[in-house]
Amino acid sequence: MFKKVLIANRGEIALRIIRVCKQFGIKTVAVYSQADMDSLPVRFADEAVCIGPPPSKESYLKIPRIIAAAEITDSDAIHPGYGFLAENASFAEICTTTGIKFIGPSAEMITSMGDKAYAKETMKKAGVPVIPGSDGIVESAGEATEIAKGIGFPVIIKAVAGGGGRGMRVVREESEMEQAYKTAQHEAEQAFANGGVYIEKFFEQPRHIEIQVFGDQHGNAIHFGERDCSVQRRHQKLIEESPSPFVDDALRKKMGDAAIKGCKAVGYENAGTIEFLVDKNKNFYFMEMNTRIQVEHPVTEQVTGHDLIKLQLQVAAGERLPRKKIVQRGHAIECRINAEDPEHNFRPSPGKITDFHMPGGFGVRVDTHSYTGYHVPPYYDSLIAKLIVFAQTREGAVSKMLSALDEFTIEGIKTTIPFHRQVMQDERFVNGTFDTSFLDTFQYVPEG
Amino acid sequence: MDLALVKKLVKLLSESDVDEIEIEEDGKKIRIAKNAHRGYMVGARVPEQVMMEAPRPAGVAAPVASAVGALAQPLPASAPVQPASAQNIHEIRSPIVGTFYRAPAPDAAPFVQIGSEIQPGTVLCIVEAMKLMNEIEADIAGKIVKVLVENGQPVEYDQVLFVIEKS
Repeated sequence: MFKKVLIANRGEIALRIIRVCKQFGIKTVAVYSQADMDSLPVRFADEAVCIGPPPSKESYLKIPRIIAAAEITDSDAIHPGYGFLAENASFAEICTTTGIKFIGPSAEMITSMGDKAYAKETMKKAGVPVIPGSDGIVESAGEATEIAKGIGFPVIIKAVAGGGGRGMRVVREESEMEQAYKTAQHEAEQAFANGGVYIEKFFEQPRHIEIQVFGDQHGNAIHFGERDCSVQRRHQKLIEESPSPFVDDALRKKMGDAAIKGCKAVGYENAGTIEFLVDKNKNFYFMEMNTRIQVEHPVTEQVTGHDLIKLQLQVAAGERLPRKKIVQRGHAIECRINAEDPEHNFRPSPGKITDFHMPGGFGVRVDTHSYTGYHVPPYYDSLIAKLIVFAQTREGAVSKMLSALDEFTIEGIKTTIPFHRQVMQDERFVNGTFDTSFLDTFQYVPEG
Repeated sequence: MDLALVKKLVKLLSESDVDEIEIEEDGKKIRIAKNAHRGYMVGARVPEQVMMEAPRPAGVAAPVASAVGALAQPLPASAPVQPASAQNIHEIRSPIVGTFYRAPAPDAAPFVQIGSEIQPGTVLCIVEAMKLMNEIEADIAGKIVKVLVENGQPVEYDQVLFVIEKS
């Protein structure tokens, strides 16, 4: 097992990793920007090294400084957390060549799964269902129409170099294709300087259901069941749960088996998540693979009884994955508490937290780096706490989440707590009949 | 600066009898030299981002080829901390994370001492990170009044290294 781990991250995940290391008797090194001088990870790590001024690209993304910090502290491993450099293949490679263990997959695995076209091809070859679509760029509206007829309308035209919902057009019937194709191409050219577009089958109101996978250095691969992350706002997850109210045992087995096939096809090592799109008829299609630990990992931990960060360290140190079957028990829900104002279009609300009180009790868990008097900096993402509840049933979990949200007090800044409270009382959420279009029609009512 | 190119050059160097390569392109210069002696090799102006890992030597006799770039970077003037004669006092802070060295080589004389007169551009010390030796230059004229770090000590970003009395 490692003697000293450097955590190349900040906020709640940095504290999470520090806690696990402490339990193992592993020494910890926190790297921090000047904006995080008074943060809890810096306070509770055994050593801390300042690596730059507040902006991420001058600190948490500065590879040379992070490696230098590992060198001067004699760290033998680096945990990248999520975001920042967690899926930076260059960083993973530099760690390896410097003789520091990167707690995650290899640079090659990161690169191959980061290439969407290659990842899709790899999964397809491994027998994992993928979203039907064109093989690469579509050169004309005519070609687009032919392909669309083959896979069946509706289809979506997407920019090859794209993201953020731009350069996308949904086409529901043949007559719409010409216009849609031209517009999508033009938008792509404007936004990404690359007019290349491809076609995919479009699913109305799909669900986003992902499988937590793990591979070890001995060729084993297992999965920890699914998480339903359909409650999203502009493709940002807000609420996650496990198990998914939409997934029955049969579907879970199929998706789990597919995920393991995908994992083994790339010889995957350490924690990963395979994201699937699931349609109304319980057909599932590979979307992408995330080669890191995810924000929402706690809901999987609560229902399976496994500490996934601990497992990451063990796998990185060469240990085998647990052989005992992974069993799901009960139900867990996570609400991401962001420093955002739900009344004003979720605009960021950094500033000083004047009063911070967390809920507690049986089956109530809060992963946070915030405290009374903490200044939420404006330089990083707005996540200030994760509230996770666990109960025997989904009904019990929803009810527990509601009372926990009622008790959760954060003053001095705006947070999404009132928003979550309203979602927990929404009929569609309570009945489990929601999909990724849920928040499109959800109406937040400003509280007096 | 193309990292892939630099990597290729290092490989080339380590596999050949050539001792040194210097390339200048678009105003950027890099010099890569083999360590024939155990000294700190200091090269030309290279952006901090160009990091090189010295390839592991194949055998005992093989010279260790290290890619070397020196960051000749004047430090930003920082707000003086002392209360009293604050006007005159200037702190030199580390712009990077690494190991502090007072001299260009283990057995050489230190770059500066207490009392040394310095000018903008005077090399004050080296901070080593990832096998790259970065020269830290003064950005003002004055006299060294304090040296706050010991030779071989690790330093973090913005750590105060020297206190200068401005002239």
